[in-house]
Amino acid sequence: MHGSSDRSRLWMRVFAAPVLLAVATITGLLAALLWGTVGQYVAWVSVGAPVLVIVWVWVRCRTQKSGQFSRATRGK
Amino acid sequence: MKARTVRLWSVVHTWTSLISTVFLLLLCLTGLPLIFHHEIDELLGYAPQPEAHAGAARATTQAVADAALAADPGRVLQYISWDKDEPGIVTAFTNSAVDGLPDNTTVRAFDAGSTKLLGPVGIGPMLVVLKLHTDMFAGQPGKLFLGGMGLLFAVAIVSGVVLYWPFTRRQRFATIRDHASRRVVWLDWHNLIGVVTVAWALVVGLTGVVNTWAELMLNQWKATELASMVAPYAGKPPPSHLASLDDVVARARQTAPGMEVAFIAFPGTPFTSSHHFAAFMRGDTALTARLLKPVLLDGETGEVADSRALPVYLQALLISQPLHFGDYGGMPLKVIWAVLDTLTIVVIGSGLYLWLARRRKRAPARSAAFASRTPVPS
Repeated sequence: MHGSSDRSRLWMRVFAAPVLLAVATITGLLAALLWGTVGQYVAWVSVGAPVLVIVWVWVRCRTQKSGQFSRATRGK
Repeated sequence: MKARTVRLWSVVHTWTSLISTVFLLLLCLTGLPLIFHHEIDELLGYAPQPEAHAGAARATTQAVADAALAADPGRVLQYISWDKDEPGIVTAFTNSAVDGLPDNTTVRAFDAGSTKLLGPVGIGPMLVVLKLHTDMFAGQPGKLFLGGMGLLFAVAIVSGVVLYWPFTRRQRFATIRDHASRRVVWLDWHNLIGVVTVAWALVVGLTGVVNTWAELMLNQWKATELASMVAPYAGKPPPSHLASLDDVVARARQTAPGMEVAFIAFPGTPFTSSHHFAAFMRGDTALTARLLKPVLLDGETGEVADSRALPVYLQALLISQPLHFGDYGGMPLKVIWAVLDTLTIVVIGSGLYLWLARRRKRAPARSAAFASRTPVPS
């Protein structure tokens, strides 16, 4: 029982964000086609969500790197 | 997941990606400028501009047809089309014969008000990029080949999603192991970009595949639906004289109320029979503007012969086009499309790098193992 619930929790941890992003992307792609101008706004946000995630991770990596660098130079 | 299963999926992912890599890079690189083809054509001076005449009456369709024939003497009209995003322009397609080769077609833009010739359409550097993207200058076989590469791309994406689990289950989402080797860092970026863009990549890839089947679908429609629509006219010769285009447009509008003519195909062209005009009507919403409805009209009298909705497979083709081009959500969606396209290039490039890096890593290990073998005495 434990193994199964742990596994599903692990599965959720790994796939929850990708599944959410995939649903957002599909919703956005269809929204612009079905809902006119309002749908376009929805599409800009939801199809752009994966791009925002990449930008967020990239910025996080850069700031972590520069933080480590400044800590290292202060240590010297 | 068992180690053997992971290995199998890994083989599928590696080889479907490797086989299609060069062609996917070509498609992504040529697709990037095509997203902005209208803006690039405008910038380079290849996009005809309508005359400024706000509120002026639109010229009749027959007047546009006469102007098109006068601009290209000795040739015949194949199609006249109206772009809903360019209301000031009417486009005319002429060729040496109604069933002439597509490469011999001349496309010209005319002012919708004055019928003045505004210039050729679909020329310049973007035409080269478009041909590279659609068929690599190899015609229908080239299209179908690229469609096959698109299917391999889809298999590579699905196998990539399957492999995402064993590779990332011990990490939090969006982990980039910056302290590890360069190969590991690129593996993390490859996994992350790949998995967050998976839906977009699958949609664009598969709609691209559907687009490569357009000609086959059209032939199927002609052989089945269109054939049954024109069956009562079987054996009738091509029209000796053509009906007035103004009558054709008016009757097509009456048959499909609330819709506008997207384009008219002249008798004998690939989109209709040898005896009929086909007026392809569109609605006014984002969706119905894509779903065309054909109205067949007698080539000599202009009377309506039949009108039916397109079959599901052609509707799927028409809907797949905007989903592939990304041209239906304004400039912000185009920019997002371009960024996602660039990210796909990064995924393909990093995948290739990871494969090469793994081979390089394995090669010394293999040679070391070979060198350490004890020679067997003969």
